[in-house]
Amino acid sequence: MKNPYLPIPMVVRKASVETTDRMLRTLELSFLNEEDAKAFRFIPGQFCELSILGKGEAPFGIASSPTENGSLKFTINKAGVVTTALHHLEEGTEIGIRGPLGNGYPIDLFKGKNILVIGGGFAFTTLRSLIVYLSHPENRSRVKDITVIYGARMPGLLLYKEELTQWEKRSDLKLVVTVDWGDKDWKGKVGLVPNVLEEVAPSSENTYAVICGPPIMIKFTFPKLMALRFPNERIYTSLEKRMKCGIGKCGRCNIGHLYVCKDGPVFSYAQLEKLPKDY
Amino acid sequence: MEERSKAIQDRIRDKTKELLSKKAVDLIIGFGEGSLPLRTTPIFIRSPEDVDRLIWNSFCENNLATYLHKFAQFKVGLVVKGCDARSTIALSLEKRFKPDQLFLIGVPCQRMVDRRKVKRAMKGEILRAYEQGDQIIVEGEDFKKALNRNDFLYPSCQVCPHRTPTQANILIGDPVDESPITETHPEIVEFEKKSPEERWRFFEKEASRCIRCYACREVCPMCYCNECFVDSSNPKWIDKGPSPSDLEFYHIVRAYHQTGRCSGCGACERACPMEIRLTYLTQKLNLDVRELYNFEIGIDADALPPLSTFEIDDKQEFIK
Amino acid sequence: MKLKLDKKDFKPFLQTLMDEYDLFAPVQLAEGVSVFRKIDHPYEVDLSASNTQKPAKEIFFPQSETMFRYEKVGNENRMTSMEEVKRERILLGARPCDIEAISIVEKVFAGEECTDVYFLEKRKKTTIIGLGCNHPLSTCFCSSAGGDPFLRAGSDLFFIDLGEAYFVELLTEKGMIFHKNKFFKETNPKDLTLVKELEEKTFEKVGFSIPVDGIEKRLNLMAESSFWDRIHEKCIGCRICTYLCPTCHCFDIVDEGEHQRGQRVRNWDSCLSPLYSLETSGHNPRPTNRERTRQRIMHKFNYFPKNFDQVACVGCGRCILYCPVHFDIRQAIIWTSSKRPKRFGGGTI
Repeated sequence: MKNPYLPIPMVVRKASVETTDRMLRTLELSFLNEEDAKAFRFIPGQFCELSILGKGEAPFGIASSPTENGSLKFTINKAGVVTTALHHLEEGTEIGIRGPLGNGYPIDLFKGKNILVIGGGFAFTTLRSLIVYLSHPENRSRVKDITVIYGARMPGLLLYKEELTQWEKRSDLKLVVTVDWGDKDWKGKVGLVPNVLEEVAPSSENTYAVICGPPIMIKFTFPKLMALRFPNERIYTSLEKRMKCGIGKCGRCNIGHLYVCKDGPVFSYAQLEKLPKDY
Repeated sequence: MEERSKAIQDRIRDKTKELLSKKAVDLIIGFGEGSLPLRTTPIFIRSPEDVDRLIWNSFCENNLATYLHKFAQFKVGLVVKGCDARSTIALSLEKRFKPDQLFLIGVPCQRMVDRRKVKRAMKGEILRAYEQGDQIIVEGEDFKKALNRNDFLYPSCQVCPHRTPTQANILIGDPVDESPITETHPEIVEFEKKSPEERWRFFEKEASRCIRCYACREVCPMCYCNECFVDSSNPKWIDKGPSPSDLEFYHIVRAYHQTGRCSGCGACERACPMEIRLTYLTQKLNLDVRELYNFEIGIDADALPPLSTFEIDDKQEFIK
Repeated sequence: MKLKLDKKDFKPFLQTLMDEYDLFAPVQLAEGVSVFRKIDHPYEVDLSASNTQKPAKEIFFPQSETMFRYEKVGNENRMTSMEEVKRERILLGARPCDIEAISIVEKVFAGEECTDVYFLEKRKKTTIIGLGCNHPLSTCFCSSAGGDPFLRAGSDLFFIDLGEAYFVELLTEKGMIFHKNKFFKETNPKDLTLVKELEEKTFEKVGFSIPVDGIEKRLNLMAESSFWDRIHEKCIGCRICTYLCPTCHCFDIVDEGEHQRGQRVRNWDSCLSPLYSLETSGHNPRPTNRERTRQRIMHKFNYFPKNFDQVACVGCGRCILYCPVHFDIRQAIIWTSSKRPKRFGGGTI
């Protein structure tokens, strides 16, 4: 029997600070062993438990796409014991990983449809994975229009700034980046994500929406999606909940009879409507 | 005793009906009928029609002051015995609630019956139990026995010298003779005869049964920290597992956190599913506080616990 | 196969077990307090209690268990997993409710993609000797929860106390290995009659009065009911019910030790603890006792059945016996049914 609790060794290849407040750091990790690298197959939306022996484990959405071979990318917000330890890791250090875990975004359902991606703050990590995957030459023709609306509180808090610049230049995806407050160098849009969504007004016909962000953003964006006539079955989100085992055994992350780690973290709003508001 | 209990029960019902009808309180917390013999259960009454659920007998063993934290936003009428009332004074000294938030319905305590001792005295399961005069009648499938209630009192009740609630808004029931049945807790007498090594072995054996359920902490009215030291992960004081040193550390530190604040109600020991003897620890520390600082919590409504304050002439001979 | 074991042979019989297996059986820690432990001497075994405090699940899912040890050697982290079970084991004296509970926990821990190796390794290597309940307590309601005081399911051998001897039934392949044990004798017709009488008598005693049947559907309609506002009131959020419950299986994973050397440990945890669902941001989806009590009852009687077609309660009654404030789960179950009293207040919930 394979022991699902044993972390697989990985090495930190690159560590870089993402945001000007230094609270978000991106780690690029690669497997120590060839066989582990070959066996690791994931889809956007899945997550892994990163393990620092002596400190503990914590779940993080995979920010890199399956199309980016070589290393896995995670963006980590410094908040507690484990994340602080992850922030202090130097390149070349060994850490552990368990995964891929969770259900991922419903890529199969997206076939032939338009995709609207709405992200806020540092919840954008798995959305990056989804966007890179869908816009990859091998996959691009599988879906129709891709619209991305991404907002952060301030320009310095935007993730993956260099990539955003490149995506803005692409003709096969529409990217709208916005901030709540601009600064003297910011030349882009200023406005809250829900308002920008209203402005962009993408058509809900034949479109799937994927929304990830802080609760306050979701609270105000969701009614705008309703106003644009998006049905609950076509709005997906990725939930967060305190997790430990990540494989549906320890009981902690349940919402009703579903486990966020095993049956999620990606859920449609149609599913969430039937579950208790335990998140 | 049975008659006294009935009279108190009726008066409690009358008084609470009056309080609820006049909206002098939002909520009454008292004792109600349990579904098992020898037990009562805390009940929460909001409407005058429900006051008949309130009862009073020799099985009202819980310290209801522990609910003041949960119902802090309400004006509460609380049924208290002597020890419970002392806990409420301790809490008000620590500013856990505003004085006008609480209406104390005090009952001079007749000493509560130790249900575990009764259970141990019988061979089969007790299916029915009730008070008759000064006796407890217990019935099982094939037995019926009358027990003398004074032989089955909780040790903390036997040594209690303050059974009349002080600072109660109303006292229900005849006054009681405050002299304790035994001066010192029998277990403390035994404990003090032991050498330090024997004392440690005794404590070690008791603590080894602990399953870290924290029932002792949750029933105690004085344990209300937002983050208990055992749950702190940064800094991490102790591990979460049942290693003997962690179990001993937990019990010693909890007992010390209670020193000078504990009213000796015994709720901790009654809650423990593994029947760990806890009251001898807390009682011994209370005795030490009495000796060193001439202090007992909850008698004087203004006197602060000695371990929360500092006086220049505080005795310190234990610092060597 | 039906056999008999005289009580005068019981201790030597235990010794024959201990010669080849690790034996786990109830041990009395103090008067009236017993738990399942590994037996070092036959005289430690005590089958007199109606049920132990801590349930038999502890043998497969210990309260604290080291998952793996780690040691940093140079730049490398070496991990040693602790799942191996070196010797075959026997669990003796577990009641049918506890044995049924083990199979309930097994449903969660088994799985095609991810199996909990720690639990399953122990389960695979354990032979279970069940013990029938001649004297169920008034708090037992196993029959209402789909079990019964003499339920054989899950046991490899089954013992019933006949007074001077134990009636022994060998039920599975694992059980049949013992048919050659020198202390087992033939039964006689009187023994079999006595067994039948005991079974009928106790079955009737436990009865079917608690409406567990259909509770999943009833709770579907009660997710936002004001029932939860009242029922949690007296609960103080200690964890006795979840720790002593034979089907509760939530756990916490922590690292102990330091950076160079240490272990990853799992400990029992409880959904009634406020820290259970507290997120690092400070947000707690179950901020008060109301939500946590609801989670416990809904999980046992609604969420678990949705996933596994069975309630996660075996009617052992421990939560009723040991709750410090006398919360009676039977009252809560009755209250969800048509048998509930007219005013929420008229029972002793």
